[in-house]
Amino acid sequence: MQIILNGLISGAAIALLAVAFQMVYLPTRVFFIGLAGIYSLAPFLVFAASEAGVPLAVGIVLAVATSVLVAVACEWLNHARLARKGASDGAHLISSLGIYILLAQLIAILWGNDTKTLRTGLDSTVHFGGSILTGSQLLMAGVAVVLLLGMWAMLHASNIGLRLRALADNPMQFALFGYNVDTHRLLAFAFAGLFASVSSLLTAYDIGFNPYTGLHAVLLAVVAVIIGGRHSFVGPAIGGLLLGLVRAGVVWHFSARWQEAVTFGVLVLFLLLRPHGVFGQKSRVEATA
Amino acid sequence: MSYLVHLLIYFNIYVIVALSLNLIVGYCGMLSLAHAAFYSVGGYAYALLALNLGWGFLPAIAVAAIICALLSLAVSLPAWRLKGDFFVLATLAVQALIFSLIYNWFSLEAPLGTWQNLTNGPFGIAGIPKAEIAGFKFAQPTSFIWLATVLATVCAFVVWRLKHSPWGRVLVSMREDELAARSLGKNTRFLKVQAIAIASGLVAFAGALYAAHVSYLDPSSASLDESILMLSMIIVGGVGNFRGPIIGALVLIALPELLRFAHLPDAIAANLRLGIYGLLLVLMMHFRPQGLAGEYRLN
Repeated sequence: MQIILNGLISGAAIALLAVAFQMVYLPTRVFFIGLAGIYSLAPFLVFAASEAGVPLAVGIVLAVATSVLVAVACEWLNHARLARKGASDGAHLISSLGIYILLAQLIAILWGNDTKTLRTGLDSTVHFGGSILTGSQLLMAGVAVVLLLGMWAMLHASNIGLRLRALADNPMQFALFGYNVDTHRLLAFAFAGLFASVSSLLTAYDIGFNPYTGLHAVLLAVVAVIIGGRHSFVGPAIGGLLLGLVRAGVVWHFSARWQEAVTFGVLVLFLLLRPHGVFGQKSRVEATA
Repeated sequence: MSYLVHLLIYFNIYVIVALSLNLIVGYCGMLSLAHAAFYSVGGYAYALLALNLGWGFLPAIAVAAIICALLSLAVSLPAWRLKGDFFVLATLAVQALIFSLIYNWFSLEAPLGTWQNLTNGPFGIAGIPKAEIAGFKFAQPTSFIWLATVLATVCAFVVWRLKHSPWGRVLVSMREDELAARSLGKNTRFLKVQAIAIASGLVAFAGALYAAHVSYLDPSSASLDESILMLSMIIVGGVGNFRGPIIGALVLIALPELLRFAHLPDAIAANLRLGIYGLLLVLMMHFRPQGLAGEYRLN
């Protein structure tokens, strides 16, 4: 039970980031590794704000807002311009990787390479039917559930959600119906910044952070996207939870040393045997890739 | 003087790396993030053969290249079906798996090089013997540089011959339009297996040279950061022709050395260097997607 709960909660953080990645990937087809830079940046902003004497709540709001702005800037300054030139997926991926490297190194120059924490002292614990949870785990679970449900409602009940899904389905037709593709792409990046920074802050509060946490987290999120199905907005959330469970199970049954090997082994299995994921419709990879 | 010799040795090593990666990226048109893993496997194979079995340099690197060529099936078999972002993901997975194998294949009880403790894990392998051919030991950097230069020239010659052979032309035709190449009766799947195996075998030479030069090897040589460095090298230099990767290797070796003379504070020098690589990648994609001297724009 303890293993399952731990897995689900760490999976929730992966799920949030996977949804952030998918928010960009589905409508724009940009493989947004730059998200890793934003993921790394958010906790440092809170850290800097609290050093400057700003109250924690204000610092968090500022950090999330800045992350959203950085994500929007990535699209506006980089990906939108590349897309206008008709650049390939590979070019988007490489420039996005460049953005990540740039952001991570800027953070390291400004605040140093070492691992920091947002929390001082031991965490509070809560007993929950025979298993023990920490306060930050409860916080993570609560916020993740609220945000994931909110995203689901936004996508399926609001007009904006409908338009984002339409953009993901067929950008050309979307433009023909007179909607502005560029502003909706910006919107998608803004959502990605929001989800990524929240996921990052929750993880940072639990286990600490350094300038290089982002890339690993985003890679896990991409694995979750592949598991969940790359044609769906909901799949990645489920994929994230499943991946969290698998990783927690590996720690319990084997050793934490093999967590990465099993994670990427799962990725290979899915890529080769079920490339459309658990929830995706069947389609051949080469048809769209 | 010895500073220049070291730089030249590194340049030779990275010329091999860049030229072999160019076979995959520039001639097959597929981005691979697994190259550092093969580089590292080559280094480890040389280190273990030379350290534990006392093999000479040439037989050891031959076996290292064969091991890497066989392991490269892990990249080339997914390439049968996956393209674009998904192929990149598959190579990333291979890189992560090989890294965690190198990192975890150790136990504190067993001596180095046995089946229980093959790689010494995070502690790395120290005291790797210098290269030795027919009784002559390349112990000094001034003699080792000749070995490195000869090996780099041989690799460059192999790549150059391949590029100008009928085989190289089929490879380029596959990059331009795989369906058309297949309709002409070319076995593109086998072609990918061949090209990736050759590239991985060549990069094993580079890994072995590095291991013999530095005498120490740890899992960080197989890390994702190293793969990204290799990829940025050829993207900055350009892919799809012969001089692009060499220029890329030259720029990315020379850049940190030039920065060294700018008297930056030590604390930020390394970060600043990597930051410049990142900026270069972004700017390149906007203003010169074919690289400084390349002729092929990534599809």
